[in-house]
Amino acid sequence: MEYVKVKFPTRRRVYIDEEENGYTNEVLRIDAGTHDFELGNLANYRPASRTVTVKDTTVLEPLEIAFYRKEDE
Amino acid sequence: MTRARLAARLALAGWALLAAACASLPPENPPLASYAPESGYRFERLERGDNSDELFVIVTFSGGGTRAAALAYGVLEALRDTTIEWQGRRRALLDEVDVISSISGGSFPAAYYALRGRRIFDEFPDRFLYRPIQTSLVRLALWPGNWLKLAAPSYGRSDLAAEFYDREVFGGATYADVIARNRRPFVVLNATDMTTGTQFPFIQDQFDLMCSDLAGVSLARAAASSSAFPGGLTALTFRNYAGSCQYRQPAWVALAAADHAARVNPRRSARAENRLSLAADGPARPYIHLTDGGVADNIGLRGPLEAIASTNHPWSVLRLMNRQRVSRLVVIVVNAATNPATGRDRSAAVPGLIDTLSTAATVPLDNYSFDTVELLRSTVSEFDTGARLVEGCNRLSAGKGAQCALELPVPHKVELYPVQVAFEYIGSREERAWFKNLPTSFELPRETIDKLRALGRRLLAEDPQFQNLLKALNGCLAGGATTC
Repeated sequence: MEYVKVKFPTRRRVYIDEEENGYTNEVLRIDAGTHDFELGNLANYRPASRTVTVKDTTVLEPLEIAFYRKEDE
Repeated sequence: MTRARLAARLALAGWALLAAACASLPPENPPLASYAPESGYRFERLERGDNSDELFVIVTFSGGGTRAAALAYGVLEALRDTTIEWQGRRRALLDEVDVISSISGGSFPAAYYALRGRRIFDEFPDRFLYRPIQTSLVRLALWPGNWLKLAAPSYGRSDLAAEFYDREVFGGATYADVIARNRRPFVVLNATDMTTGTQFPFIQDQFDLMCSDLAGVSLARAAASSSAFPGGLTALTFRNYAGSCQYRQPAWVALAAADHAARVNPRRSARAENRLSLAADGPARPYIHLTDGGVADNIGLRGPLEAIASTNHPWSVLRLMNRQRVSRLVVIVVNAATNPATGRDRSAAVPGLIDTLSTAATVPLDNYSFDTVELLRSTVSEFDTGARLVEGCNRLSAGKGAQCALELPVPHKVELYPVQVAFEYIGSREERAWFKNLPTSFELPRETIDKLRALGRRLLAEDPQFQNLLKALNGCLAGGATTC
């Protein structure tokens, strides 16, 4: 079992491999491997998606995957 | 009789045999006109009704012929008679079952429940459990009228068995009838793909790979595939129309296959590659041969374990956990595995060929089943350890003063209840030995079946995790330790 935390300034739905999987800023459980992360069809964040290989995490040290608001640029 | 007349008669007989053989092709699984993820037999398509996700219950039924079917049926009866308090009202635990995963003999009560719901309790004992199914199958195979059919290369004893189940057990029902019922539990009958050695679940997600419509497949053929015990019964053949329905693999498949060389998660990569192989255009494998589900996993727990530990599963429970939809997860494993006594070691004689072959065929399966149950235990322990670790760190840091408080985020908390119903948990050695020496057959004496039904109920009531669940849900099982 691996752990990730998708970071974003507000609470948003998190899509992993195109499937809904909880919310931003929460620790989510996931199986090891390469996954696609997105925040849905809204266009006001960047990057549009992130492809990340998740491995060697612990519940105390989840992998943090950050997204940003476009207006923060 | 002249030589010419004899030759003519032989030619006629040969022609009749050929015609009969050609006419007795088994029914084909229909092609899928176009890939339609919004329809078909899929977990997310079934109406939840009153069944909540918060209490998520998975039940697995193992293989083991009528022995397994009767034990599984006894557990279903016990779940019907178990009352819990959930979301402000009292209800039967059976109505909270979300998924049933079954193998071989266990697939008969599973399929029947998928089709008829609670009517199983009025119909199934006489339609299946108490019937001399084995005798009927042997008679059918020995009846000369069927020899012509059996002579066809694409028709085997399991096709004959499937016709019998279709007529006598399932009344001609197909998956279209199960889809029309449109309610949980999602029932997954499992067979084994002979070529890849992997589990083959009868769900639309699997049939999508072959561009085939599961709705047109009979429950009898699914149950016959799941219970095609090697040797006694033949494999069943399914058509693969891959490449003809504009199918699109889920996003994770390409990513997991690309992980192969890096060995990040070999199990996930293997699942992706298996999907790619089945769906390869051409198709690369135009026919798929399915044998007993027990060859890949005799307790039906591997699929549920993947659903609990992976977000990339057609009915992923982990996704539901991440969405905070599940707060209690119950996994009830009903395992009718036996361990027949043998006098082999009382003699210096070299064990015979049959003894050796049957040992070679069954021991690896039993060992694999043991490891599968251990995997469930370690998965549960991983969830518990993770949650306890974070809570412990938060408590320790808070104890050092407010300025040290960490408040580490905790993953959504899920309470897990792994429940096991298996002969090895029978207390009395004598009674345990009796059950562990029952044969694997589609025919058992009525009193043996009644004993298995009662045992399923008793072992469920005695399981410590089941008792914890009843305590947590203010529940009781009629006739069990906790009075209702």
